[in-house]
Amino acid sequence: MLTFVDEILLLMLDDEKGSFLPIRESTMGYVLAGAVLMDLAFANRIDTDPSQLMILDKTPIGHPTHDRILENMAASDETRDTKAWIETISREATEIREQALSGLVDIGILESQEEKFLWVFRARRYPTIDGRAEREVKLRITGVLLSDETPDPKDVAIICLADACNILRDVFSDREINRIRPRIDQIRKLDLIGREVSGAIQEIEQAIMAAMTHAHH
Amino acid sequence: MMNIGEEKMDSVVVISIEGRVDGLTAPELENRISEIVDRGDANVLLDCAEMTYVSSAGLRIFLTGARKCQQSGGKLTICSLQPDCKSVVETSGFHTVIDCHDSREAALAAAS
Repeated sequence: MLTFVDEILLLMLDDEKGSFLPIRESTMGYVLAGAVLMDLAFANRIDTDPSQLMILDKTPIGHPTHDRILENMAASDETRDTKAWIETISREATEIREQALSGLVDIGILESQEEKFLWVFRARRYPTIDGRAEREVKLRITGVLLSDETPDPKDVAIICLADACNILRDVFSDREINRIRPRIDQIRKLDLIGREVSGAIQEIEQAIMAAMTHAHH
Repeated sequence: MMNIGEEKMDSVVVISIEGRVDGLTAPELENRISEIVDRGDANVLLDCAEMTYVSSAGLRIFLTGARKCQQSGGKLTICSLQPDCKSVVETSGFHTVIDCHDSREAALAAAS
């Protein structure tokens, strides 16, 4: 079964080119950190409330990166809230991403291609070779956002992550996004980890805007 | 710790929740809601008058339960939230997807 990290990475990739959609590095870091926490929460290893994140069970879930992060969280003496953990875990975004991409290659969903450009630099691309998993995720997202049915918590989680990195525009047209914005806003509030991810990204974006405005003056 | 009671009031099964609904206790509540819906009672009221705490895991079970009731042609509603829990439910926007009532009487009246 795919993790939230796997699912959001599939949505972040341009299927044919195999490269990532334009997403700010810090945003990707927060979203992947949030996805790890969601995976641990849905596996009943952690629980959260607005003021803290609690470790319920440090038994590994069978994904090396998640398990190492869980072990580190369990070993921490400090009680931290969800936002603080998102910031800490986001520093490991590259490893989280590479490990998950490698797993998606192993199970035949992506293929790994190395390209050289300017004769020297190398870039790795991950074109999709089996699009069923990603189509299924997109169907779940559209099913929730185009209806008023009570959503499944897993669909709520992936919608929070996709909206946080602004990739729902790859699933819906701009016009559709505008039309369903109230439903997106309703859904994305329902997951506390998702809310904290969006909050952290907004803070960074506001800081960048403030810095740019300051530079112009 | 969480204790749950159950009683049937006309077409509605009222689950009274006492104590904490968190990652440790939520699975028990989830199983109870599933059992009730699976035996054909799809209108469920969660009476939270004695619920002292709800975490994200607890809120997820509310959502899963509401979905299960809806898919079986019924409805899950919540009543009598204590101020702290009410604040968590409202901040998370759960009151926009699950009907919340101030009292059991109001919830049952709305269901009839």
